[in-house]
Amino acid sequence: MGVYYYIHMGYKALYLKLAVLALLLSASIAEAKPISYVDGIMVMQENDETGHTISVDYTITPNYAVGWYDKWEENGKLYSEHGPEFNSLIKRWNLPDGQANIFNSTGAGVALDGSKTRGAAWTDFMADYETRRIFTSYEIRALYADSIESSVSQRARIGIAPYEANYNDIATWFMLQVDDHPSKNDVFVVTPLVRFFYKTALLEAGYSSNNRLMLNCELQF
Amino acid sequence: MKKIIMISAVIMTMISGTAFADTIKVSVNGLVCAFCASGIEKTFKKISAVSNIDVDLEKKLVTIITKPSEKLDDKTVTKLITDAGYQVTNIARIK
Repeated sequence: MGVYYYIHMGYKALYLKLAVLALLLSASIAEAKPISYVDGIMVMQENDETGHTISVDYTITPNYAVGWYDKWEENGKLYSEHGPEFNSLIKRWNLPDGQANIFNSTGAGVALDGSKTRGAAWTDFMADYETRRIFTSYEIRALYADSIESSVSQRARIGIAPYEANYNDIATWFMLQVDDHPSKNDVFVVTPLVRFFYKTALLEAGYSSNNRLMLNCELQF
Repeated sequence: MKKIIMISAVIMTMISGTAFADTIKVSVNGLVCAFCASGIEKTFKKISAVSNIDVDLEKKLVTIITKPSEKLDDKTVTKLITDAGYQVTNIARIK
């Protein structure tokens, strides 16, 4: 009902603009994260100082996945964005002792702010490099949701594993995450965290410099 | 005498049961994270010819054991590992 209401109110131009934006983003980039393995389903649930996220992704080919993304934003304006995502692995380097990746995730849907509903589009580039002892990543994300939000944020992570976990071990990582999100109340936030994973289950817990608990989990099926 | 024949029969059955199982040792680049590499295990476990699979991050090695009399060619092995996101550098077979 909301969609028709806004079309009748003259939002045709907005949807056209969003469609063009999504097309430009997907054309100029090509691909996204998360990508697991062909036919694999990945479920992610993240709770941190930026808000609460749920996403479900299905990997179609080694380079492409489709999914659904929901995020309820906090630390500033309270709004949410929801919609399908297209994820791509732009480039992977499989090295003898490491792996590096560039991903893109682009989605379009709606943003909700109280009684306001607007079209929304987002794109996210992520680059990472990891060995069995070192992890680094950088991510930049742009979100456009008309009068609700228009922002660019970035995130970087470094991590060290205290031991080299083998395939059947529980892996442990100590990480430091740095967020720069100018549209939030706390613009620059540092979050020390610990990551554990065992085969297809991953858990992260941390505490941010703006006193918020982080609890993330990922499962692969 | 009966006992010898029975023992021989059991041994022959055991030998014939395992004689045709292949052990395929695949060297893989990019194998650093168990969470990501679990895709390899899940992918191969769906293949009916596979009896067992083991991933060793230390040795960067994936070991696949086929079912007796079942075959898994190098092309299929390479495709399945590539689909899981990794690069095969070598395939060795032990009969």
